[in-house]
Amino acid sequence: MQVSQPMGPASSAPTPHIEVHGLELYYGSVPAVRGVSFNVLPGEQLTLLGPSGCGKSTTLRAIAGLEKPTSGEIRIDGVPMYSSAHQINIPAEKRRLSMVFQSYAIWPHMTVFDNVAYGLRVRRAGAPEIKEKVGHALSLVQMSEFAGRRASQLSGGQQQRVALARAFVFSPSVLLFDEPLSNLDAKLRADMRIELRDLQHRLGITSVYVTHDLEEALAMSDRIAVMRDGVIEQTGTPDEIYRLPRSAFVADFVGSANLIRGRLRTDLAVNDLIALETSAGHVVYCMAYGRPVGAELVVSVRTVHLTISSDRPAGTQNVWSARIGKTVFQGDFTQVHVGWGDQHLIARCAAMEPIAVGQEVYITVDPKRVVLLDA
Amino acid sequence: MAVPYYLTPLLGALAWSLLGSPESGFINQIWRALGGHDHLIDINTGYGIAWVMALFEGSVAFVMIAAVMKSMDPSLEEASQVIGASRLRTMLRITLPLVVPGVLGAAIFVFAEMLGSFAVALVLGLPNRYYVVTTAIYQLVQQYPPKIQTAAAMGVSLFAVMFVMLFLYRRIVMAGSYVTITGKAFRPRVADVGPLRYVLLGVCVFYVFVAVALPLATLLYASVQKIAVAFPTAGNWTLDNFRTAMSMNAVRSALGNSLLLGFGTATIGVVLMGLLAWLIYRSRLPASGVMEYVVMFPQAVPRLVFAFGMMWAWVVFPIPIYGTLWLLLIAYITVFLPLGVRTIAGVMLQIDKSLEECAQMCGASWAFRVRTVTVPLLVPGLVAAWLLLFIASVRELGASILLMGPHSKVITPSIVESWFGTSSELTATLALIQTLVVAIAMIVLVAVTRRVGAQPVD
Repeated sequence: MQVSQPMGPASSAPTPHIEVHGLELYYGSVPAVRGVSFNVLPGEQLTLLGPSGCGKSTTLRAIAGLEKPTSGEIRIDGVPMYSSAHQINIPAEKRRLSMVFQSYAIWPHMTVFDNVAYGLRVRRAGAPEIKEKVGHALSLVQMSEFAGRRASQLSGGQQQRVALARAFVFSPSVLLFDEPLSNLDAKLRADMRIELRDLQHRLGITSVYVTHDLEEALAMSDRIAVMRDGVIEQTGTPDEIYRLPRSAFVADFVGSANLIRGRLRTDLAVNDLIALETSAGHVVYCMAYGRPVGAELVVSVRTVHLTISSDRPAGTQNVWSARIGKTVFQGDFTQVHVGWGDQHLIARCAAMEPIAVGQEVYITVDPKRVVLLDA
Repeated sequence: MAVPYYLTPLLGALAWSLLGSPESGFINQIWRALGGHDHLIDINTGYGIAWVMALFEGSVAFVMIAAVMKSMDPSLEEASQVIGASRLRTMLRITLPLVVPGVLGAAIFVFAEMLGSFAVALVLGLPNRYYVVTTAIYQLVQQYPPKIQTAAAMGVSLFAVMFVMLFLYRRIVMAGSYVTITGKAFRPRVADVGPLRYVLLGVCVFYVFVAVALPLATLLYASVQKIAVAFPTAGNWTLDNFRTAMSMNAVRSALGNSLLLGFGTATIGVVLMGLLAWLIYRSRLPASGVMEYVVMFPQAVPRLVFAFGMMWAWVVFPIPIYGTLWLLLIAYITVFLPLGVRTIAGVMLQIDKSLEECAQMCGASWAFRVRTVTVPLLVPGLVAAWLLLFIASVRELGASILLMGPHSKVITPSIVESWFGTSSELTATLALIQTLVVAIAMIVLVAVTRRVGAQPVD
């Protein structure tokens, strides 16, 4: 890892550890990845997030060297691993990466110890070194007492820990995760999420993580790249992705959002707020966040940011009257559908008093929470 | 139910010939002793041949249809019953349409196989000059002077018909299989058929009786008789047949050759077919689709026709392997290519690809991965394939009968020669000895596969 970068003001950006440029991958004539570019900084955890079939796993496998791209370039530590222009394609076993698989891929004919020791044996490490490093790795994932067991005697969560220990024991420069938690049950997944995050920080390994689970991505990543149909829709920190989605797809995929369409009303603009009018005549104030403002606008409002009250709240911007449609009790929150002009809005309210269907209420949202989308 | 599969069609034909030939057949002897006239059954006819073929070669259909039945998710039928359909309606509207492609596919496959089959028609048809395509080809090649051109024309025609049938089979299986194999685990549903089950049980018992018990008992009985007749007499018992069989040089060398060939075919075959299966199903070789077709191609060629072609190729070829065991080895490995590759591929496809990929990500080279991950995981499949190839080689008739020379005799064609040349009692003995050898191999197969298969769990 190159960390000794001159820290002058002119070169503040560190050298990226992984560089993916213009990556394309076709299966025959079917595109799986259509021009993906991103960098991962040393020690950073980048998550590729998207629905199934969006090309995120394929991108990861291309970095790993398990899929051969159609064109583009992949560099690790500045060294090209794949380059269509220079006809370079380093085989997976020579890329000095490591990977945790969705199926865990624990070899059933070996013990836990042998599974973890595999990478060290490949590198011809001596017996004392193997013993020490495997022991350390197993203790990090709290599996020390299982070293002599066979894989078939382990639960899913235990197999996942072994797979993890096996992946980092030989100090690879990069760790790749292909939906490693998707086969675990919900509760275990939430625990493993935190453990994995801790471990990744402790080891300081650069990692690329693939998942379709939003919560996982938000909880674990330094940065998220949201993918759809083989392209990256938006890259940003979890907070940015959640707070300021760039497109309707991101807004909807990352959490749940109401989309509101309308015409621009330049005459109503106040300070840095932009106003739009819906077809039903509601005036909505929103923030542009530096995005281009056209004549027809689409804005996104997260369902948790809509507030419902039976009395008219103070303030004049973004206060509308609406009618309660149906309510769905979901435990930690209640999902309320309200009729608002000619469309429905969905609000998620925590700890709400029961409300009658058909009741007239006021809904309100902070204009800062109304985000203009790229059309 | 799959037991008849382990008895060779040749054995079945020999036994049923002893049972059902019009003059000396045991069943007809008993019929006449009971006051009947002439004969009750005549096995040396088209119907008789079809009966024996159905019993002994048609059992492939059982294996194929059973696979379809087992892979059917019972919730499909349960869904119909829950909606309120009767059991009959469910059977007609849900179960049958689901299994039709599988059953139709099996029917076409068996039809094509039977067109190319040889042993039964040879043993039962030849005495009555009842010929099928394969026995006619054999006759044309063996007679003096041989009519090679006519035989070649017949062979090519037969091959063309079989090729079309198997192409059709592939199309049906690919297009029509609604029965999807999901990753979801389910238990095949066992239907409760009520009092009908005694009838069905009766059918099963009858099948096992006529296909296993009766033929084996017949051969065993004939092998310990001086002259095989239906009614045992005190002076007729003998063990001479076994003594003769074991002391005949021809038999000893034929049995030895067969075992040697079985060993060689299985060992070379497992290495070669394992590599082929890996290349076709696991590597990203661009030509793997074409290779799969080439490897499966011998399935469409009747073994006799294939051997006929090989015979002529090697007679002309300057390398002197015609008439040696090498030619038989090459023939066996070629004709059993589909069997071996399919067996190994079946196990290989069950091994999650990521197990190999993970080794690769750990930095292991190809050779290291194959040695430490692929081969250890494949061991049960390789052992099964080895024994299957061994058994198939020891039983082989269609290719061997044309390719073996006077100094490279193998057991199955020797049994046929004995049938037409010496006594039926001695032939029965030979057939039993061969069956015993195959049975021992089968027992080893089951035991070893169980043990190896159970190992990762221990």
